[in-house]
Amino acid sequence: MNLEEYKGVFIFAQQVDNVVSGIAYELIGKGKELAKDLGTEVTAVLIGYNVKDLADDLAAYGADRVIVVDDPELKEYRTEPYAHALASVIQKYKPEVMLVGATAIGRDLGPRVSARIHTGLTADCTQLEIGDFPLNPVPGQEQKHNQLLMTRPAFGGNTIATIACPNFRPQMATVRPGVMQKLPKVEGAKAVVEEFNPGFTPNRNYVEILDIVKSVVDTVDIMDAKILVSGGRGVGSAENFKLLDDLAEAIGGTVSCSRAVVDAGWKPKDLQVGQTGKTVRPNVYFAIGISGAIQHLAGMEESDLIIAINKDESAPIFDVADYGIVGDLNKIVPLLTQHIKEVKAQNK
Amino acid sequence: MDFTLSKEHEMARSLFREFAEKEVKPLAKEVDETETFPRATVEKMAKNGFLGIPVPKEYGGQGCDPLTYVMCVEELSKVCGTTGVIVSAHTSLCCDPILTYGTEEQKQKYLVPLAKGEKLGAFGLTEPGAGTDAQGVQTKAVLDGDEWVLNGSKIFITNGKEADVYVIFAVTGVTEDKKGRKKKLFSAFIVEKGTPGFTFGTKEKKMGIRGSSTYELIFTDCRIPKENLLGPEGKGFSIAMHTLDGGRIGIAAQALGLAEGALETTIAYVKERKQFGRAIAAFQNTQFQIADMATKVEAAQLLVYKAAMAKATQKVYSVEAAKAKLYAAEVAMEVTTKAVQLHGGYGYTREYDVERMMRDAKITEIYEGTSEVQRMVISGALLK
Repeated sequence: MNLEEYKGVFIFAQQVDNVVSGIAYELIGKGKELAKDLGTEVTAVLIGYNVKDLADDLAAYGADRVIVVDDPELKEYRTEPYAHALASVIQKYKPEVMLVGATAIGRDLGPRVSARIHTGLTADCTQLEIGDFPLNPVPGQEQKHNQLLMTRPAFGGNTIATIACPNFRPQMATVRPGVMQKLPKVEGAKAVVEEFNPGFTPNRNYVEILDIVKSVVDTVDIMDAKILVSGGRGVGSAENFKLLDDLAEAIGGTVSCSRAVVDAGWKPKDLQVGQTGKTVRPNVYFAIGISGAIQHLAGMEESDLIIAINKDESAPIFDVADYGIVGDLNKIVPLLTQHIKEVKAQNK
Repeated sequence: MDFTLSKEHEMARSLFREFAEKEVKPLAKEVDETETFPRATVEKMAKNGFLGIPVPKEYGGQGCDPLTYVMCVEELSKVCGTTGVIVSAHTSLCCDPILTYGTEEQKQKYLVPLAKGEKLGAFGLTEPGAGTDAQGVQTKAVLDGDEWVLNGSKIFITNGKEADVYVIFAVTGVTEDKKGRKKKLFSAFIVEKGTPGFTFGTKEKKMGIRGSSTYELIFTDCRIPKENLLGPEGKGFSIAMHTLDGGRIGIAAQALGLAEGALETTIAYVKERKQFGRAIAAFQNTQFQIADMATKVEAAQLLVYKAAMAKATQKVYSVEAAKAKLYAAEVAMEVTTKAVQLHGGYGYTREYDVERMMRDAKITEIYEGTSEVQRMVISGALLK
């Protein structure tokens, strides 16, 4: 493998139902930084059917070039034709870096492609930078420059690994959604658009999609929820939980509660967090109007991020909270909901 | 030194025993099964003056000594642990601090109806984060004009929701100890049921003393008159500790009663029950078990009575009370457990009383200071 042949930063521009997913823009934003360090450009690879007109959107967020693979076989995501499409693009254009979003689609596609073209892949990265490998010179070993250093949490987030792929190209990574920043949209920006079709011959690896179900999940088991909006006695009434419902809806979370709320009859027992309820470990736990007795803390203190809202500044919940607001939840929660909606609208 | 009870004490005891047998015992099983507070029994006890035994006559009480009160709790607990603790919490934890620390107005307004049994009392110190470590109390009281504003909650409050008058402890300030560490300053307050902002939360579902009403108290901007501060501001901690010293004698009496009840029941049972052609009382294992149980019960009784006498005759009786509660509670647990064993399979059924006594006994090792706290008090005094 002649590593010198490989140039450029490529990102897989995921689209579903002919709408570009947000992760594609995040990857372009990150790709721009990497490309600057490498003195090269960012190319978005757009795969689908009748998706050519999405190229402008990718350009508006900073893609210098868009490679479009457009074919009826690519209407819905299926592993085999998409892997064939992306692997063919890589074989033809020889990028130095190939980034894929760590979505359900990307986590399926990334490893398939990396195995097909025989290169390294780091999954679910949270940090990417260009640097030297090894980081510090080791006697008797060549220190390579301009390597992609891919950092990811491993062992359930208990350790952080930085991984390089010095001997094979492209250096592939799937990137955790929501970590990278997209660039401000530049209206009317244009990118170089190239069409490329490697040809598709259905084989036995082509799965047949029977049905696509899009369900709005009403009740998530609170133990599976990534974001919990949890209310305590401070919420005041069953009706007032609407504030928390709104916040949960805006942020894509699930409502849970403390024992006091169950006792008051405002919420069912299966939403109770704590020693006598469920033990949860979400990424984000909002403790709203919860004083934070140990009986409750025991059920949620392992959450990655705890945000407390309570009018009593000496409430024990603040001892475990990463972020805390002392104040009236009736004022704070609606403002928070509104702000989250605004940010989400901007990111659409 | 005299171990015989006076005539008055003997008379009082027979009165309590008769009441317990006639009024309390028939309801004990139902009270436990249905977890209902024995309201009617409490009203009858009020009529008989059981709710103000150690309170002076001028405040509506019976003017008896602590020993008489101890015997009342003991005799009630022999047949029903629930009834015993209702009287104990009311008398030791609510009447006593008002009698000891209250102003004349407070005594007239609150103690008189409590002692007469027109009102029932309770005591609110424990919080989710403050059990053995009372410094963990979070409930706050802030003086606003001529009212105190209470915010916070209390858990595991005996007689909760049923009681009319509550002695509540809240943080009213912060001070520094000699080493410069922050310490909370507590104050005690009298709060009446029905005060706006004072509500009841959860009713606890308990293993034993199931008829005793154990509730969470919730204070949300609850305003009480300035004059409902009990004792000096900032002296709440010592008021609570002094009150609990007396309360421990009451719980020791409850434990003692449970052990005595289990022992009496078991003695009767082993004489009746036959296996291998004879009463199981004829087997030496039974005889020795009964001997051990009876000896421990009497040792506990002497400790409990001694603590009651100490309360009557000396200023400080913390250690006597701690020893009595520690020992009586552990004896109650052991004796009731053995009582179930000697009843065999029948003892494990709810048809017989001993399983209830065993469930009731366990709490005596926990509330009003766990056995470990009693050991801290005792060793602290010995190793000064």
